[in-house]
Amino acid sequence: MRSMRRLALVAGTLIAGTRPVLAQDSQFGIRGLGTPGRWESVRARTTGGAFAAFDATSALADAALADVRALTAAAMGASSYRSVKAPGGSANLRNGRFPLFTVAGAVSRRLTIGGGFTTYLDDSYEVVTRDSVLLRGVMVPFRDNFASDGGISDIRIAAASRLGTALALGLGLHVITGSARVTAMRTFDDSTVYATVRDSQLVRKTGFGVSASALITPSPILSIVGFARADGQFHTNVDDLASGESDLPNMVGGAVRLTLSPFARMAGSVAWRSWSNTAPGAYNTINWSAGLEVGGLGSGLRVGGRGGKLPFGPGGSAPSEWGVAAGFGRTFGGGHGVLDLGAERLVRDGGGLHEAVWTLMFGLTIRQ
Amino acid sequence: MASLLRRAGQGARWAALGLAVLLSACSEQLTAPGTCPDFCSPSALFLVDTVLQDAIAQDSSFGRPIGYVSPHNSLALLAVSVPGRESRAIFRTIPVPARLIVGPDTATGAVIGVDSAILRLTITRRDTSAHNLTLSLYALPLAIDSTTAFHDLDAPFAGPVVRSVNLDTLLARPGLKDPTTGDSATVDAVNLRITVLIRLDSAQVPFVTADSGKVALGVRVSADSRANVSIGSGELGSLLNTPLGPIVNWFLKVDSLGLNVIHPPARLAQAAFDSFVFDPPPQPLGGMLVVGGVPAARIVLRMALPPLIRDSSRVVRATLEFVAAAQLEGNPADSFPVVANPVVADFGAKSPLNLKQTDTTWITIVPLDTVRIDVTRVVGLWATDSLQSTTLVLRQLLEGGMFPELRLHASADVAQRPKLHITYAPRYPVKP
Repeated sequence: MRSMRRLALVAGTLIAGTRPVLAQDSQFGIRGLGTPGRWESVRARTTGGAFAAFDATSALADAALADVRALTAAAMGASSYRSVKAPGGSANLRNGRFPLFTVAGAVSRRLTIGGGFTTYLDDSYEVVTRDSVLLRGVMVPFRDNFASDGGISDIRIAAASRLGTALALGLGLHVITGSARVTAMRTFDDSTVYATVRDSQLVRKTGFGVSASALITPSPILSIVGFARADGQFHTNVDDLASGESDLPNMVGGAVRLTLSPFARMAGSVAWRSWSNTAPGAYNTINWSAGLEVGGLGSGLRVGGRGGKLPFGPGGSAPSEWGVAAGFGRTFGGGHGVLDLGAERLVRDGGGLHEAVWTLMFGLTIRQ
Repeated sequence: MASLLRRAGQGARWAALGLAVLLSACSEQLTAPGTCPDFCSPSALFLVDTVLQDAIAQDSSFGRPIGYVSPHNSLALLAVSVPGRESRAIFRTIPVPARLIVGPDTATGAVIGVDSAILRLTITRRDTSAHNLTLSLYALPLAIDSTTAFHDLDAPFAGPVVRSVNLDTLLARPGLKDPTTGDSATVDAVNLRITVLIRLDSAQVPFVTADSGKVALGVRVSADSRANVSIGSGELGSLLNTPLGPIVNWFLKVDSLGLNVIHPPARLAQAAFDSFVFDPPPQPLGGMLVVGGVPAARIVLRMALPPLIRDSSRVVRATLEFVAAAQLEGNPADSFPVVANPVVADFGAKSPLNLKQTDTTWITIVPLDTVRIDVTRVVGLWATDSLQSTTLVLRQLLEGGMFPELRLHASADVAQRPKLHITYAPRYPVKP
């Protein structure tokens, strides 16, 4: 039990030490609202996201909470190493994030409630450009730094109920909120004559959303989830002054899981999101995933792949993304705890920019 | 139970491994070269460069006839002899006590005369292109004070020269010493100062008991051309806590109670008063804006910045543009800095200055047309703190220590009124 307390302490440290919850960043998100987060636990993400709709510790489909009986908490950390190649240059970037925390438990025989937070949009980046401007008859070279540090979290309260062996329903309410410190700085090469321009503003965004999902299990082998989500509008404040509103996307999707044996499961999912109404030059996206899990529920080996589009990018078409992932889990503490480790390789292309990401993931789940 | 604990221990090891993975990326690196506009924020910084014709709401000059710094409290004593300008340094030393201690106890003896004296002068600035630079000393009446004018001392300066020292010759001698006259010099290469020690005998500076040993001297300078030096004043010495003003070292003779004459150590006598007199006299300000000169004048400007700039912009460069009303006097060595300071509070001519925000512009002695004075930091301060008074003061460094003065057209002259040329960046437009 002492070890259990130690692990609980580790989990607490992970959660308490988080910055605003953020997922991996992308240069493709700079022109738009940001980089969409993934509402997936390490277990789901190492299957390419295919199992997210069936995973109670993920935040994709509320109906998945219906089968949670014991109080369960899960947290996740991820480290990303990203290489960016663009016509203007290349860079190797890295960051560390804690993009997910969920908790769920049964309040009655038929009702389970859950909640937590996950990344909705990540908006952290810094880009540097060089240029010159004609000032008072002289070409003056300068360097611009544009940076944003922050992101938007999705705080969820959800309930799910199993109405029978074949049907479970879920409903969630979402508060979508967060902030980013946006900084623009222009440094002139001759800083003795031209003063450096530095402008920093705090951008806060708030919105609300609802989600609903249904989990159908027509046979012990087959499970199907349908999920939908409607998010309203972002209300944006810049330095506490209201500065505008922007639409948020709606989402519909579905997933299928086949339980081939007690030790082998496979799943696939697809989701559509209406990003095109959120910002100029944004695109609706369809993303798919497929994955396989071999072994026990908590200690299996997992592999998966994903593909689809990104909502923000230049030119006439949406940037593409594909990736593969693998990982494994290990139970401890008599099955009360699950540790998940995984790695993911993502490749994004669009508008001449190529981005490749390695992400190492660590997940901790504790059940009562 | 043992199995449970063993599994928990394994779990802890996995947790440690996971944490190590995460901690390996705790330091972020998010900076990438921007590929704009495709992969940059749609918002951008842009600059506005404009000339504000009416930004100077009120302007005026103060400092004549009583200057912010006048010759008698200047940090420099100016000795100049150039066509169109003559200036002479003058000073009077403090009295020497009538009696001095002559033995190991408190017994004192009367001062009965002087063996010799050494006058110490510190030259803080000179025109190095001047050759045969010579300092000449003249005896002056003890009555000199801050009201003494140039022509009040015509007679003393027309009298015999007490001593003269050719500075170029002295500096060329080995060890910077003249064994014949006893004069010497030291050069402070760091602070660019020359200390000249001029030996005077009792005939040149007689000790007059009735005057308590006070002595008044004038310094006149000459050279082949461009005779122009600044001598450190007592005020400069006080400011830097270093004896830089004129000092006379008296080597006195003291009566030792009717026995042998005592020669105590040198007795220092600083200047009780130092100043300089010059001709022609200072010009009145008239309707012009004047900064610098002697007595030192300042320009006070009350600015009216548009709210867009004051409230929500970042100032990249701001320059006051004046039309010169007169040409500068002097030669290139007389170039001087003009400093712009915002005021802490606007009390007109007596406004206290904010010395933390300073813009400095060097004014070189060249034919003038438009005079541009940098005020970037001052206007930048106003753009970041809208509660600040938007009044600024232009002053010369070193005030009261240089004759050149800027004479500029004021806003009353509509056709040639001063303007503010400003380059600024409006607020960075964050995407909604």
